[in-house]
Amino acid sequence: MNASGRILRLVKRGPERRAIESGQVDAVLDAATGKALLLPEARHALSLVGGPIANRLLSALPREDYRSLLGELELVSLTAGEVLYEPGERIRHVYFPNDAHVSLLTVMADRKALEVGMVGQEGLLGISLALGAEISPVRVVVQGSGSALRMKAASFGGALGRCPALQREVHRYAYAKLLQARQTAACNRFHEVQARLAGWLLLTRDRVRADQFHVTHQMLGETLGVRRSGVTNAATALQRRKLIRYCRGDMRILDRKGLQAASCECYETVRQDIERLCA
Amino acid sequence: MADAPCLTHPSAAVVVMRLYIAQGAPNSVKAIANLEAICKEHLPEGFEIEIIDVLEFPLRALADGILVTPSLSKVSPFPAAQIIGDLSNRSSVLVALGLVP
Repeated sequence: MNASGRILRLVKRGPERRAIESGQVDAVLDAATGKALLLPEARHALSLVGGPIANRLLSALPREDYRSLLGELELVSLTAGEVLYEPGERIRHVYFPNDAHVSLLTVMADRKALEVGMVGQEGLLGISLALGAEISPVRVVVQGSGSALRMKAASFGGALGRCPALQREVHRYAYAKLLQARQTAACNRFHEVQARLAGWLLLTRDRVRADQFHVTHQMLGETLGVRRSGVTNAATALQRRKLIRYCRGDMRILDRKGLQAASCECYETVRQDIERLCA
Repeated sequence: MADAPCLTHPSAAVVVMRLYIAQGAPNSVKAIANLEAICKEHLPEGFEIEIIDVLEFPLRALADGILVTPSLSKVSPFPAAQIIGDLSNRSSVLVALGLVP
């Protein structure tokens, strides 16, 4: 018998049983053992509140505010390659990544795609909901597998209304993303592929907090807006300088400072904006 | 919860309640917030709430006849009453507390 079955057996009838069935109960007291038994949802929520909060936007909230959101947050696993949003589709959930990171891609009419942003543990996906738009303008693809907390779109609207701290953090993050988009627009026009690749690798490193991660050739092409040969040339040049090692999708950063010197100014600008606004 | 808040607004016609919760579990957090809002609005004469965490004090809750959390017990004035759930149904809470005719 599972935990819920045992709990319902402990409380056979009456208002207690009705409250359990309507999802308004966290724990049941067992007179036989003298202990309180947590219902699965409460246990899950308490495991979240007890452990470290990996997502920085959520961890910036006052603890009481975070606790008030727990009932509406669901822990999910995201797998590399999984598509979370397609352009033109209604956003059903917002995601607060923990150790997962995702790419936001603008898809053109000829189906070519270009990365226009990435989100990791510093932020959230579905920010357009906070700005009044319910339709995703971009394709969102999981790039690095990991976990995230997600919330239904309707719940997110309610949470923003009753939790000023969440609204403030979301607006700060939205502004940071706006600054990043401006910087990236100029970067794509003025800077060389090799320098842009170096900056992108450093931003990814900051998000995954590791010097090694998986990234496909296709993804790098979509990130930089160049053909495969352009990716190969840029990656080979960085490899020759012993800054990275890239083999069959496995990227390893060998020299972070050297890579930073090889990147354009945009990496440091974007990094500082994120630190300033989302720390 | 050793440092559980005890919300006290003492006065002559004070309503004394005990709220049984399970740490920071979602329904328990909602129940505290809902009860606080109801009391501030409807009990200007004063109220006293003792919050008991059943994960820390299960035997105390069992001795008080509590089976599930969140549960609110109205201790005084007479008559006693008990309400189960997150206290989001404000009208039923007001009826149980004797605050509506």
